[in-house]
Amino acid sequence: MHVNLDDLDQLAARAQRYARYSRSAGGLSSVIGGILLFASFLANAYIELGLADRVVLALAPVLWLLAKELLRVAYYQRDGRALQAPTAKERREHRWMVIYLAVVAALVLGVLAYTALEAGKMPDPDMLGYALIVAALPLVAWRWFWSVSDFLVGVLLMCQSAVVIGGGNYPAIWLIYVGACAAIAAFYGLREHREYLALRVEFAAQEARD
Amino acid sequence: MKDSTRNAIDGVLGVDRLVHEPARLAILTVLSQAEHAEFSFLEMACRLSKGNLSSHLSKLEAGGLVVIEKRFVGKRPQTRAAITPAGQAALARYREQLKALIGEVHDNRNGGEQR
Repeated sequence: MHVNLDDLDQLAARAQRYARYSRSAGGLSSVIGGILLFASFLANAYIELGLADRVVLALAPVLWLLAKELLRVAYYQRDGRALQAPTAKERREHRWMVIYLAVVAALVLGVLAYTALEAGKMPDPDMLGYALIVAALPLVAWRWFWSVSDFLVGVLLMCQSAVVIGGGNYPAIWLIYVGACAAIAAFYGLREHREYLALRVEFAAQEARD
Repeated sequence: MKDSTRNAIDGVLGVDRLVHEPARLAILTVLSQAEHAEFSFLEMACRLSKGNLSSHLSKLEAGGLVVIEKRFVGKRPQTRAAITPAGQAALARYREQLKALIGEVHDNRNGGEQR
């Protein structure tokens, strides 16, 4: 018998920590998301935006998701993908978060549809853009939002995106709340990144031992 | 032969040999922590060569403990594996057997030392 339960537990823990970077641990992408979030709200609150600026600002969630995927593939899971198996609690939280967003999105879309019906005409293209982003929110959440940081950054970025494309803007007072959310996401992101660096050291030490 | 010694021997003989092999045990342990994992990650985490890993995965698949999916991502072939419910159960059972066995060995040793 040359099997050691402690070694197996360590191997399991390392695999689990690595797999987190496929879903619930964003690492530097949470930091990028936090910066993008604050910058986009700041720009929309204080800068007079033209159509091109609005389109660029509305693309902030896409940019964030792209950064998230690139960091996962090229950095955090560069040794091959291991998809995190969420616990029952995490699955439940994720499901309720998506249901909540789907209900809110349905309410918003319902109001838009009712307004359009009452007016007897199709909504403007910018309102259609708004509706499209609102409709996409639960789907994006279902696919990408697995942590509190994801939820805070992702939902606010998409709301901002929808409002910007709809021609509106969040008042500057929102910057306090958004700044707090961005700081939380950046804090957790940096912590996750440090944990990842420690994990790499453990993998390297294991390789050296073998 | 003492009962505890007989139990220990039965324990050794009773372990699932498909799971007990260290490389396969490592593969199952890693897979038990993820929904699925790519071949390259298993190679790195379990410190196995490609050939070795492939051979052990095939044995685990034949035993119904893992499922292997081969696909193309663009033009790149990609192999990923996932543990099955039977694999999870076999791993849990193996760990319990091992814990019980270690307990028996400790008991025997302590009993011997006391005498």
